[in-house]
Amino acid sequence: MFLELFSSLESTLILALIITPIISGVLVTFLKKKKIIELVTVFSSFLILLEGLILVNSILKYKTISVFNGIFYVDSLSGIIIITISLVGFLSSIYSVSYMGKQYEKLIIDEKKLVRYYQGFNMFLFTMLLVPISNNMGIMWIAIEATTLVSVLLIMLYVKQSSIEASWKYLLIATVGLSLALFGTIFFYYVNTADVPLEGDALGMNWTNLIENASGFDPNLVKLAFIFIIVGFGTKAGLAPMHTWLPDAHSEAPSPISALLSGVLLNCAFYGILRFHIITSNSIGSHFSNTLLMILGVVSIGIAAASIYFQKDLKRMLAFSSVEHMGIISVAIGFGSVIGIFGALLHIINHAVVKSLLFFASGSISQKFETKLISDTSGIIRIMPITGFAFLIGGLAIVGMPPFNIFMSEFLVLSSGFESENFLPSVLVILFLVIIFAGFGKHLLKMVFGNPKQTIKKGDLGILSIIPMLILVSIIFVMGVYVPEPLQTLIEDTSQILLVGDLHN
Amino acid sequence: MIFPTEINLLDISAVILLVATFGLIVSRGFSNWVNAYRYQTIVLAGIVALIASISNIWELYIVSALTLGIKAVIIPKILFYVTKKLDSPIKLEIDPYVSMKLSVIISALLVAMSYFIFLYLDIKSNEIIQVFLPISFALFFIGLFVIVSRRKALNQMMGLLTIENGLFLFAVSLTHGFSLIIEIGLMADILLGVIISSILLFRMSRTFDSIDIKNLESLRDD
Repeated sequence: MFLELFSSLESTLILALIITPIISGVLVTFLKKKKIIELVTVFSSFLILLEGLILVNSILKYKTISVFNGIFYVDSLSGIIIITISLVGFLSSIYSVSYMGKQYEKLIIDEKKLVRYYQGFNMFLFTMLLVPISNNMGIMWIAIEATTLVSVLLIMLYVKQSSIEASWKYLLIATVGLSLALFGTIFFYYVNTADVPLEGDALGMNWTNLIENASGFDPNLVKLAFIFIIVGFGTKAGLAPMHTWLPDAHSEAPSPISALLSGVLLNCAFYGILRFHIITSNSIGSHFSNTLLMILGVVSIGIAAASIYFQKDLKRMLAFSSVEHMGIISVAIGFGSVIGIFGALLHIINHAVVKSLLFFASGSISQKFETKLISDTSGIIRIMPITGFAFLIGGLAIVGMPPFNIFMSEFLVLSSGFESENFLPSVLVILFLVIIFAGFGKHLLKMVFGNPKQTIKKGDLGILSIIPMLILVSIIFVMGVYVPEPLQTLIEDTSQILLVGDLHN
Repeated sequence: MIFPTEINLLDISAVILLVATFGLIVSRGFSNWVNAYRYQTIVLAGIVALIASISNIWELYIVSALTLGIKAVIIPKILFYVTKKLDSPIKLEIDPYVSMKLSVIISALLVAMSYFIFLYLDIKSNEIIQVFLPISFALFFIGLFVIVSRRKALNQMMGLLTIENGLFLFAVSLTHGFSLIIEIGLMADILLGVIISSILLFRMSRTFDSIDIKNLESLRDD
């Protein structure tokens, strides 16, 4: 096995991808100096981005890569998740330097807390990166559960009443939810190995093995198992009505972490649903899981619409918007047509980009205005011109204004809804999107263009908070007009994986 | 291949496990819960060893030993430390949302419900599955019930650990242990989870002067 380490570029890359954050975490633990641990984390996140991109390049070339006797397995679907983790992770590490630096100057956190933050940041990246590369669905589950634990540590970084409340709710609800997902995973393992019982072998839990045998599974048990899976991972992915922990946790976390939670972690959990959705579709046809995904998706968008319209807290509004967008992705997968799935996968990336931009901006805004209340925040563009501009672009993009990237994916999703003749869900989604447009737009315009309070000093928060935002803004503009060639190929390959289920039935 | 005496042993161990779980429901004191959890886990480890001896899978003996070591020794030690150090004035569950007597009745109904659910599931079963699968559902439901009906955060944590034990029993009885690596990963997750929630409990008691979850109701949208 160790001979394989350097035998191919891919095995080295996959190993490097998970070892880089671990090394970085260890270095942070021992070095402890503020400047150095910031540098270490940014550098390692940059390395992860680089490794991720090279790995995705290999995925484009080979379609599927399986290394170390099939312990690690990546395909195009993993590639999409790896891109979002490494991109948002890198930008978030830069933004952390600015944001946590400010918190440090304001004496909200001390040096010990800062070390703990960067340790948590690196471990968070590690656990998330483990999700898309593991072949074994049990190990994937362990990684997702570990993301909960690490992110709880990051949310309770500030010792405040509200953050303790948020972390406790998050820990309880997410763990109970995920335990249901493990029930589902074990059920899938059981249906896979039911004919050859009494075999203490991990092979039966491997994705490659499950998908190979899927057509022979007992249909009733598969249905039951998928219900467990969708409720379980759906809790973690923020699908309503299991989303209740999400607005608390995402709004109480430090802003760079909120960006990772909303933009990336939700996708990791949804990735779990997608994997089992493919197995289920291969086994009993896609109708059953598509219907479930559609129902949960529409409910999520509806609940988010109501909550966004009457929202008072900026970060809670963004958190509910994440519930909305996970709902859109879920509905789009549920529509089940080629365009819909393409739109959903594109939406995963687009949402990650836009939501992390908005959380970065909202972090700077709440540091400047010293409040998270929407009513106390106004005139951002006059007080902080660049942050205000970025916030405006992000806000317009998230409600689906053309010519930004989310418009493109939402348009694909909705047209696939009508094309696949799911009229009721499509009409409902449009209705809710209009409500969200009105609610979010109202808050957005007031915050960006309202009359600023005179007491606040003008100026943005420093170059390191602005660079990540501007990078994200430029991605939003570019992706609004065209999807780069390699990304398009990656998404098309993934659509093929997701559509395979229909070919069998 | 399975002798009648062994089936009896299975039944008896299942009953002992349920009794240990009910110990969690009927006790009010913080350290009583930890003890109840410890007895529950010791019985669970015994059941795993029993399944190992019936199915002849040596890996399950290791799993059983790990369960005993991590979940019946280390975790209770952490939890006893927590209960001792918590600066909560009264270490009792005084008025839970559902009274103790009613809790017992509801839990009994949950056990009955678990058997009904098992009857509806069409699983090609052997004796091990028949005896332990309903019990594992019961542990899950009782754990969930403890989480929603109790006011003390520590008690909710015990509910979570009971759910986890149910899940563990479910996995072992249905699949006879899927893989040692995954079992070890699960144990590591649980250990980490217990440590993190203990830190959270300390913070809670320091910030609110109690671990009553009625303090945790300020974040809402209205």
